[in-house]
Amino acid sequence: MSEHILEVRHLSKAFGSHAVLKDIDFTVDKGDVTSIIGASGSGKSTLLRCINLLETLTTGEILFHGKDISKGKINPSEYRAKVGMVFQNFNLFNNMTVLANCMIGQQKVSKINKEEAKKRALYYLNKVGMAPYINARPDQISGGQKQRVAIARALAMEPEVLLFDEPTSALDPEMVGEVLDVMKSLARDKMTMLVVTHEMSFARDVSSHVVYMADGIIEEEGPPSEIFTNPKSLRTREFLKRVLND
Amino acid sequence: MFAQLLSDVGSLWAKYGTVYLTGIANTLILAVTATLIGCIIGFLCGILQTIPYGPNDHFIKRFLLKLIRIILRAYVEIFRGTPMILQAVFIYYGMPYFFGISFKDIWTVSIIVVSINTGAYMAESVRGGIMSIDPGQFEGAKAIGMNHWQTMLYVILPQTLRNIMPQIGNNYIINVKDTSVMFIIGFSDFFAVHKMVSGAVFKYFPSAFMEMIGYLCLTLLASFLLRKMEKKLAGKSNYELVNTDQLVMAAGTYSYPAEAGTPFDEISKDYKGEKK
Repeated sequence: MSEHILEVRHLSKAFGSHAVLKDIDFTVDKGDVTSIIGASGSGKSTLLRCINLLETLTTGEILFHGKDISKGKINPSEYRAKVGMVFQNFNLFNNMTVLANCMIGQQKVSKINKEEAKKRALYYLNKVGMAPYINARPDQISGGQKQRVAIARALAMEPEVLLFDEPTSALDPEMVGEVLDVMKSLARDKMTMLVVTHEMSFARDVSSHVVYMADGIIEEEGPPSEIFTNPKSLRTREFLKRVLND
Repeated sequence: MFAQLLSDVGSLWAKYGTVYLTGIANTLILAVTATLIGCIIGFLCGILQTIPYGPNDHFIKRFLLKLIRIILRAYVEIFRGTPMILQAVFIYYGMPYFFGISFKDIWTVSIIVVSINTGAYMAESVRGGIMSIDPGQFEGAKAIGMNHWQTMLYVILPQTLRNIMPQIGNNYIINVKDTSVMFIIGFSDFFAVHKMVSGAVFKYFPSAFMEMIGYLCLTLLASFLLRKMEKKLAGKSNYELVNTDQLVMAAGTYSYPAEAGTPFDEISKDYKGEKK
């Protein structure tokens, strides 16, 4: 009954002779909050970038509502408009104000008129608490604020899935909380999210599903209660011991 | 001695003032038009050169894109690597040979020559400008579903323009001076006026003196205007918090209680209501 929004099948990715992802299989359902955890270099970010077609797959396929989007048959721009992405380095458009950042995609990609786009942008900027800053440019606000704007920009496209690529890794510790709070509120609103993160508390307390990756494969996955309290794999156990003791 | 020069300049100006002014106007119009068209050519080259293609693309698409890059490369190398004075001769006298087109209007041919020459330099400037933009800007644009043209037009090129403003200034100033070589095909610019007038009245130095001052004024004015434009492109250095807008009634603080939803529910309702 439950339809998979995203389905990754036998996905492999190699940069030259270096295999980064090896035969990855997993699915994302509506309303899932999936955290992908693992050591640096385990292929987490590459997986996310493959899903958003920022990297080309070496082999395998990615199904979006059952349709293969990886073979160039579907216009990648149309697909990306439905799958939002939030980056580690925010990637806000430096030549635009906060408001324009949240409007441009709606106007040019979704062809929404200016007034409606502004309304929607303000709605989502309100949601992330950045509405008072609509006239600021990205270089005038802090990292945490930038990331909240970036989330609003992605939300303004009203995507079906939101991908987060280490959204708090480039932030000062005191700004991590404000971004995580926004992500938590999205989870409460039943937004479907796929989050690559080093924030174990988020993975444990907020997500509905946790994927542990090591050396380009999915070592273990399951509900957070199982992964965090009773991991089956030895590597998962060791990884968690290492990061949770810090 | 200086008094002599001034009186010579005065008499030249009295007799040929309007001729000099026409020359200045011609030079200015040609330089401005050609620089603008050159910029457009440069930006177009920038967009075309950066169209991405991958191994998954159809081979005809890959072939065409490669071909475009080769053609643009050749264009840049040829027009950057030969003197403009020769390019003028080639196009003005060569077109009738090859295509049977002869130019009746010297303006058209001059604008074409200077524009494509400028375009070749601008293409390289734009390429450099695009390379200087953080790849994250491309990815951010792609991630919200923009295609290559939209990414370039709304995100990358505006930032590129700001970065290469000094080079556009360079090109414009070079054009103000170098359009003087267009006399070879009979374009009567500011320098051509000097040759004509000094040939008629044999006052070489006073005329050259006026030319020097004239060119310097043109370029100084250009520098001044370009600085102004750069400042404008840089945008405001501060911003105002918006706490008064009705849509934005939130007090500007971020924290809101976790369970109670957002303090903006009024707006949420309004917004949700408008949506079908």
